[in-house]
Amino acid sequence: MSDELFNREEFVAYFRDEAEELLQQIDADLLQLEESVNSPDPHSEIVNSLFRALHTIKGSGGMLGFTDVQGVAHKLENLCDLLRKDRMPLSESVVDILFHGRDFVTDLVESAVTGAAPPHGLTEYLSRLDQFVAIYEETSYVIEGRTGPETTFEAAAQQETKEASAADVDAFEAEVERLLAEAEAMRQGAPAPAAAEPPPAPEPPPAVNVPTPAFEIPLEAATPVPAAAVPEESAKPQKAAEAKRGSIHQTIRVDIERLDALLNLVGELVINRTRISDIASTLERLMADKATARDGTIGASHGIIAPLAKDLSDSAALLARTTNEIQESIMKVRMVPIGQVFDRFPRLVRDVAKARGKEVQLVISGAETDLDKTIVDEVGEPLMHLLRNSVDHGIESPDAREARGKPRAGTISLNAYHEGNQIIIEVTDDGGGIDLEKVRARGIRQGLISSEDRLSDRELIELIFTPGFSTAEVISDVSGRGVGMDVVKKNITRLKGIFDVDSIAGQGTRFTIKLPLTLAIIQALLVRVVDELYAIPLDSVIESQRIEMPDVRTVHGNEVITLRGQVVPLVRIADFFELGGHRDPDKVMIVIVGLQGKQVGLVVDSFEGEQEIVIKPLSDVVGRIPGISGATILGNGSISLIIDVHSLVSEAYVSGKAARAEFSGV
Amino acid sequence: MADTREQIQQLSGEVVQLVSFRLGGEEYGVNIAQVQEIIRMVEITHVPRAPRFMEGVINLRGQLIPIIDLRTRFGMSRIDPTKSTRIVVTEIGNKRVGIVVDSVSEVLNIPIENVEDAPEMVAGVGTEYIQGVGKLGERLIIMLDLTMVISTEEKQQLETVEGTSP
Repeated sequence: MSDELFNREEFVAYFRDEAEELLQQIDADLLQLEESVNSPDPHSEIVNSLFRALHTIKGSGGMLGFTDVQGVAHKLENLCDLLRKDRMPLSESVVDILFHGRDFVTDLVESAVTGAAPPHGLTEYLSRLDQFVAIYEETSYVIEGRTGPETTFEAAAQQETKEASAADVDAFEAEVERLLAEAEAMRQGAPAPAAAEPPPAPEPPPAVNVPTPAFEIPLEAATPVPAAAVPEESAKPQKAAEAKRGSIHQTIRVDIERLDALLNLVGELVINRTRISDIASTLERLMADKATARDGTIGASHGIIAPLAKDLSDSAALLARTTNEIQESIMKVRMVPIGQVFDRFPRLVRDVAKARGKEVQLVISGAETDLDKTIVDEVGEPLMHLLRNSVDHGIESPDAREARGKPRAGTISLNAYHEGNQIIIEVTDDGGGIDLEKVRARGIRQGLISSEDRLSDRELIELIFTPGFSTAEVISDVSGRGVGMDVVKKNITRLKGIFDVDSIAGQGTRFTIKLPLTLAIIQALLVRVVDELYAIPLDSVIESQRIEMPDVRTVHGNEVITLRGQVVPLVRIADFFELGGHRDPDKVMIVIVGLQGKQVGLVVDSFEGEQEIVIKPLSDVVGRIPGISGATILGNGSISLIIDVHSLVSEAYVSGKAARAEFSGV
Repeated sequence: MADTREQIQQLSGEVVQLVSFRLGGEEYGVNIAQVQEIIRMVEITHVPRAPRFMEGVINLRGQLIPIIDLRTRFGMSRIDPTKSTRIVVTEIGNKRVGIVVDSVSEVLNIPIENVEDAPEMVAGVGTEYIQGVGKLGERLIIMLDLTMVISTEEKQQLETVEGTSP
């Protein structure tokens, strides 16, 4: 018994995932369909794709007994069929109805899986749908392959459309039972039982689709859909659709926990591989020393050990190569294109724009940019907020835009790309920009600032991030409830990212999100500072240098050096972290790091070589330490903190040090 | 607050099971459900610019565990680790934290009716860290609220350079 239950849970979960994908595809198709409403181009491809997706959902839902899902999916499938047979002209209202239907199916899937209450307005929608469809449906048709009574459906189809009542449904159910029995009988070669009373159901209700293996005849032949469609979709409709989909998507679903387990193992492998390498090189060094020492006692065993040491080295090298490859593969597996999250947005923007009476075009680029799956999941919501905000507050109404000499339709561009070891996501709109006066007024009204306060533009923008702040005069359900910006900022911060806003009044606004790519294994340069080892991500390292003290200048109290004509400010790590220690009076050992074109020289005590390290996050409990982005466990078990180059570079520049240094013409 | 006892009761039922340890001459206890393991003192890697009571981090079978020195947390004087110094690795929710204590005693079972609310100040430890006081014969066990002990929220927010572009 428990086995059966267990299986069902798996299937339900699979169904939900599959449905999510399909519904996403339906959304994309519908958006495309909407655009092609007024074009003369044939839209059969899209409609076919819709039909297939709905069909699969219907089948899968039916198998699990989710009759609601199945029912609505069937009706929508029906409508699509009319569309592709050109029995129904494509119009905005059709697309609208399909959009609503798709949303209902989404809700129904959710309520079926979680047991939550079904969505409101379903009955009204369904009757609207039925009425709409009935106009175009043929009232007579032939059911192929059946010799049984068809008069019931024929008669029913010819009657006036009326809403089905509970009694109707009962009668319909009875009819279905009878049909099932008939089908079974036919399969076994028995004569078909006599027809029962015609059901009082006035409109041709969709037959419950039961694609169970037991029935080999195309049971769908019983559905009141024009015959031509039916035989094509016979016997194994679901499998066919599946196979089609299978050829397009060569993917499988993997439980992310399993990936994480794999990743941990790889991490351990990397650590151990380093240890073996260390042992091998120590042995080799030992051998070399002993050989040159010409110690007679070692001489004999030298001949045995030396080759062993060599073997160990070779093995270590091979292990290293293999581990590298495994590691790269695993990292790639965890990375997914950000397009996964971007997919939902065209629909979102369309809906919000429509609701607000605005015309908005969403341009997406960089959807193929990869990032870690866990981040992709988290970044969706903040982005949604930003997009809503842009449509709601950023883009002006078409008339206002025209008055300003802008095109009636506003453009929001969503852009993603890699830079260094970060992923940058930009949401840019060509709307009216942030009205700083409104922000100031609101700030005063909310008591955040006084009317005497003189705030820079940047500081005014920062006000937006205060919880509860909102410049919307009307609290709409879309945004303006004041939960927007501060939540976005908090979410981004939680992902250890950076959130920035730029705005030009009248021209537009840009939100920039910068997130670290959590590649858990990176190349690092190990350095020693006051007896502790630190790791600097090699990505950011430009070079390392030893500079004699006379070449270190001091400008306005800050140390700088000149490197190939460029002035590079120095940051003493020991000072930055308040580690104490003492300064070498003769020289500085510097690691030149660069970020976005800005260079800084990090002063360390010594360089300890390059190494591959596994990034382990410092616990939340420790909090955010400026200058530290995590830690790693070295081959000998000791902990080395990883330096956050970004904050050190900022330290050197934001405080204006570098600016002063540069302008003083050193 | 009579709720304290109710809270504890909800968590532990009729008997409270505590891991008791010593700190500066007093006996303290933490709910056994929150104790993952107890280890000997190991080398703690210092984390710069962390809150003062945050000693640093240690490597526990490949995981980084932050370590809090309870003496510092409670404003007591620091002492050098001795042979009996232990690190109690606790787990609250999904956060793991190790706390350094002078020595660990035993697991105690204290009936709920022997638990009293904490007075304003006990052994110099503010009430925000204390869940209650348990009585076992002559012994007084100060029951710690670990979530408050490891909370760093009231500490100054270590503002990094988020929001400011270089």
